[in-house]
Amino acid sequence: MRWLTAPLLVAGLLNFLCASALASDVKVIANASLKADVISAPELRRIFLQESSSLDNGTRLAPVLEKDGPVHKAFSQEYLGRTQEDLQTYYRALVFTGRGSMPKVLGSDAEVVAYVAATRGAIGYVSNDSDAAVDGVKTLLVVPAGNTAQRKLLTSVEPNYPETLQRLGIGGTVRLALTVAPKGNVENVALLGGNPILAESAIVAVKQWIYEAAHSRSTLEVSVPFPPRR
Amino acid sequence: MRRRFVELAVVCLLASHAVLHAQEFKVLGRTVQVHGFASQGFIYTNDNNWLTMNTSQGSAAFTDFGLNMSSHLTDKLLVGAQVYDHNLGQLGQYHPSLDWAGADYRFKRWFGVRGGKVKTTLGLYNDTQDLDFLRPFALLPQSVYPTDVRDATIAHLGGDIYGTISLQHHLGDFSYTAYVGHRSDSIYSGYPYLLSTYIHFTSFGGLQYGGDLRWNTPIKGLQIGASRLDQDTMGKGTSVNPSNPTGGYIPYSEHSKADWTNQFYGGYTVGKLRIDSEYRRYVRDQSIFGGASGDFVDVRAWYVSGAYRILKRLQVGSYYSRYAITELVSGVLAAEGVPPQTDTSLPRNHIYDKVVTGRVDLNRFWNLKVEGHFMNGFGMADYPDGFYPQQNPQGFKPDTNALVVKTSFNF
Repeated sequence: MRWLTAPLLVAGLLNFLCASALASDVKVIANASLKADVISAPELRRIFLQESSSLDNGTRLAPVLEKDGPVHKAFSQEYLGRTQEDLQTYYRALVFTGRGSMPKVLGSDAEVVAYVAATRGAIGYVSNDSDAAVDGVKTLLVVPAGNTAQRKLLTSVEPNYPETLQRLGIGGTVRLALTVAPKGNVENVALLGGNPILAESAIVAVKQWIYEAAHSRSTLEVSVPFPPRR
Repeated sequence: MRRRFVELAVVCLLASHAVLHAQEFKVLGRTVQVHGFASQGFIYTNDNNWLTMNTSQGSAAFTDFGLNMSSHLTDKLLVGAQVYDHNLGQLGQYHPSLDWAGADYRFKRWFGVRGGKVKTTLGLYNDTQDLDFLRPFALLPQSVYPTDVRDATIAHLGGDIYGTISLQHHLGDFSYTAYVGHRSDSIYSGYPYLLSTYIHFTSFGGLQYGGDLRWNTPIKGLQIGASRLDQDTMGKGTSVNPSNPTGGYIPYSEHSKADWTNQFYGGYTVGKLRIDSEYRRYVRDQSIFGGASGDFVDVRAWYVSGAYRILKRLQVGSYYSRYAITELVSGVLAAEGVPPQTDTSLPRNHIYDKVVTGRVDLNRFWNLKVEGHFMNGFGMADYPDGFYPQQNPQGFKPDTNALVVKTSFNF
């Protein structure tokens, strides 16, 4: 396999030289009926490349694109790893070999927001500057695949376990995605799964957690248990 | 011919109408999409006539078009069909065919099924070889994707299983396809036409099965893979009696004893640059003239190509393609002195092709290509490899330069 080393090294070097470090110029939005607030980058890619019509948890999603332009270019390159032209070629190959269909294409951020708001299961993207704070639309946090950034938890706060649920023996585990700032404070919390009432308590608690400082922002997945009283 | 141009014009008009008025409509609450394409080419060669056209005089007998409809009946179930028609010199002759049709159900990302007439996954471009608008080149490397014998590999009537599996430890994805079905060649394809001087085929086809495995590697834009195709084909018709050539036609049959293709490939995309390379080995051991003779053919072919998008609407590309063929006959043909062909350095046993191309996208739907081919060799006179004795009765010159101009439209 030694013969493979040189071409792979060249490929890796070409990739490094040609890759442009894109800031995230777009945000991913979805119809508010979607329960999750977070989507992983691989799941997002599979939905838009028609490798899957649903998330890993079975939630069905239907992608909508924006027409060629800076927003579409940024999304295609950052999240799908393709130029606009390559993406068009990809969809056409699916359509003309009977393996897929052309996704819906809309003309502007405003049209995408309106369509996503009105269509159950729709997922799209708009520029970061676009006003997507509209009834029926939520902005999704896109997390890298298997982000397992390890940061030491310095201060934690126990969540309040509602007495009513304790008495009824209702418990479980709440899964949360935390965005931790370089300073160590928790900037953002997104619910991944669990009882919604317990989740409210968990979110209040984790927002008070303090992690050790680091060079950059991290995204962590935490599980907050609520063991039911027996 | 006039009728065909009218048909092509109708497709283009419908296409324009469709583009202007959206390409979908609703049936029983389900969205049905309609898409189509058409292409027209012109080839001029300085010496040998190529691809069954009189290219030494310049030929525009290079036309194809297709139309499809499809609909997602559910988010996992896609149904559809595509009709295709083409003419390439003496081949095709505008006999429309069902290009693909059926249903595709994707249970999970890692498992789906397709059934009906299904495009065959073989290498990077077998299933899309008719779709000129998808690539920078007017002609794919003919060593690996011979357009005159597209029927041999383009589709099967049967079923596929397919899927994509993510590997752990960030090692990328594996995509697999496995299929089995029936191949049925048009009698207007290259192989029947080549032999039409002494064999008249009424049918040609048979069992086809195989698979493809491709690895989307952890290096962004790099994909490598391998395909295997096995066939059990039979051809029937009538032929000149090789033992008594003036004695009239006799029933003819041939069948394959071994017929397989191995193909290995890699593709790399980085920014505006695309590099591909493929190697194909095709072996066919067949019994011909009802078993009186045998014919063993071994084809080894490969190419390396590169394409770069200079501007949003301008691409340039180049490839180098090598094709080499050896043949051994047995039985009556050997007894009659048909010699083995094993020296691939001879022009009659190879075709080496250097190609440069430019593609301009006039708009999102319409493109124009200009391409130059510089070929050495002409392949075997009794094997369909682009140069046919019917168009070259005076024999073959060793080198052929070709200018190909092609335009295509899709919606």
